[in-house]
Amino acid sequence: MIDDIRRIAARATDRFTRRFWGPTFRCPVCHFLIAAVDADGNALLVCPVCGVVIEIESVYGHIVPVVHDVEVFRPQPKARLHPLATHLPIGLFPFALLGAAVLSVASLVGGLGVALGARAPVLADATLVLLVLAVAGAVPTLASGLWDWNRRYRRRPYRQITFKIAGSIVFLVVGAAAIVLQASGAVFSGATGLLQLGSPLGAFAAVLYLGALAGGMLIVAVLGHVGGTLVFGR
Amino acid sequence: MMDFRLSSEQQEHVEKAREFTREWISPNAARHDRSGEFPLEICREAFKHGLMNPHVPKEYGGRAERVLDHCLVMEEMCTGCSGIATAIDGNGLSQYPIILAGTHEQKRRFLAPMTEQLMFSAYAVTEPEAGSDVSRVKTTAAKVGNDYVLNGVKWWITNGSVASWYFVLARTGESLTGFIVPADSPGIVRGPKEHNLGQHASNTVRVTLEDVKVPEAYRLGAEGDGFNIAMETFNHTRPGVAAGANGITKAALNISLSYAKRRRTFDKKLISNQGISFKIAEMMTKLDAARYLTYKAAWLFDQGEDNAREAAQAKWFAADVAMSAALDCAQILGGYGYTQEMPAEKLIRDAKIYQIYEGASEIQKMIIVAKMLRLKEVH
Repeated sequence: MIDDIRRIAARATDRFTRRFWGPTFRCPVCHFLIAAVDADGNALLVCPVCGVVIEIESVYGHIVPVVHDVEVFRPQPKARLHPLATHLPIGLFPFALLGAAVLSVASLVGGLGVALGARAPVLADATLVLLVLAVAGAVPTLASGLWDWNRRYRRRPYRQITFKIAGSIVFLVVGAAAIVLQASGAVFSGATGLLQLGSPLGAFAAVLYLGALAGGMLIVAVLGHVGGTLVFGR
Repeated sequence: MMDFRLSSEQQEHVEKAREFTREWISPNAARHDRSGEFPLEICREAFKHGLMNPHVPKEYGGRAERVLDHCLVMEEMCTGCSGIATAIDGNGLSQYPIILAGTHEQKRRFLAPMTEQLMFSAYAVTEPEAGSDVSRVKTTAAKVGNDYVLNGVKWWITNGSVASWYFVLARTGESLTGFIVPADSPGIVRGPKEHNLGQHASNTVRVTLEDVKVPEAYRLGAEGDGFNIAMETFNHTRPGVAAGANGITKAALNISLSYAKRRRTFDKKLISNQGISFKIAEMMTKLDAARYLTYKAAWLFDQGEDNAREAAQAKWFAADVAMSAALDCAQILGGYGYTQEMPAEKLIRDAKIYQIYEGASEIQKMIIVAKMLRLKEVH
């Protein structure tokens, strides 16, 4: 089962990289996956993980990397703010999603809604607080990430980093939309704390809200994984 | 007059195969090598590009490609990945017995559909106790009414998991007979994929036959013709195998050259050291020698002449050259040549099988000597 999930994830990653990054190769030192288009006009690039200076050449479609040098004194991430801040969205967002999921199930299964009773509005409020903290936490995460990109990676346009920046912006937009939907009272009823599925508009808002949370969760998970590879290599 | 240049048609073939290799085979080589996944998607593309089933006669929808032209294509594809190229080209080995000895109905029934849609077939001759010595095959085919009932174990069957039919060599009394066995016949059990040293993209499995009924109409030739059909097939396919080995040599040479021209050591380029540059010179020379042997073996077959000795020479020599070139490539790359992130170690693993399958190098030498015993003197 876990092997199957890994295989599916690997296939999806492979399709994504082939589609959007083009030919890739692994750094021969740290095994980090690098897009060939990251190389400059002289076919040179610096591995973002281990700092080796690599020249690449494509021979019969095989990318042959040659290591020329190592960037030894690279600035470290500033006070490690980015890895610390990352834990806010990554740690809190799944629990916001969990709260919303529990309330959604309770809204659809009558018995569970009754069992939750007066605790449902409290759970809805807690979900909103978690959501706000997670999305708000993404702001310093993005800012510190940009700071690190500027210092440590010298603004080199690595595919992973540009992907992370774009993904973070999408996460902020999606997260903000979910907050607005919930805070406006369009999703959960203030009285019962459950989804307002009685009206078409309420059902539509619920679908949008849950879709935004699911999308946000996917983005957070993928960005966390990509960030992990930037730190640890393969 | 001898002309060593390729014709414009052959050059076109080569360009097409090279383009396909660069776009589809090389970029996916490492992925399939790591995962061991059968390259179905790439085979589909190869089928669309007309790179599969090249030998099928024109009257059955094929192109009846000459062996020499096929060798040129195989060399290109194996420069990308010999495992993926084997998956693409594996049909040829099982199709040739039908081309050689099949009836019109057998060709119409089994070859024609392969030119219309992506299908695979497999050559099921090798057994656990019968590898190089094909005459030791133990699989039995007992005549029961109008059918034959086959029992036995076939081993290291390339494309065995994906094949729609098999060419099976089985014992009918004292002699061997060839059969076409549809893969969906009751009693066919396909084993799991073998974890081989190299060519991980190629599908190699065990195929067990348990009371498999095969109609008499699916017998190839007469009873007892099987051994000759199987051996004749190798005269056709060995130049292609040699060409595959040449592809590995070419990959090793290109990678070595690219690396040695750019890597700096002792304040000069690696290639400036004779210890390195001489290796590359030797690789190039051996590659040319292996190619000319291969092309001659293929050309002789295309002329309808006996090429058994030349095919054996080409297969043996090209395999040894590929193995040594892959080892030299790893040596030139130094420590990087020993890592899985560079293509050299894969070439070593892939090259080894060329010294073993379709007749081990020692068998090739036996064939060469057997042919020489008939000569009074060599000119």
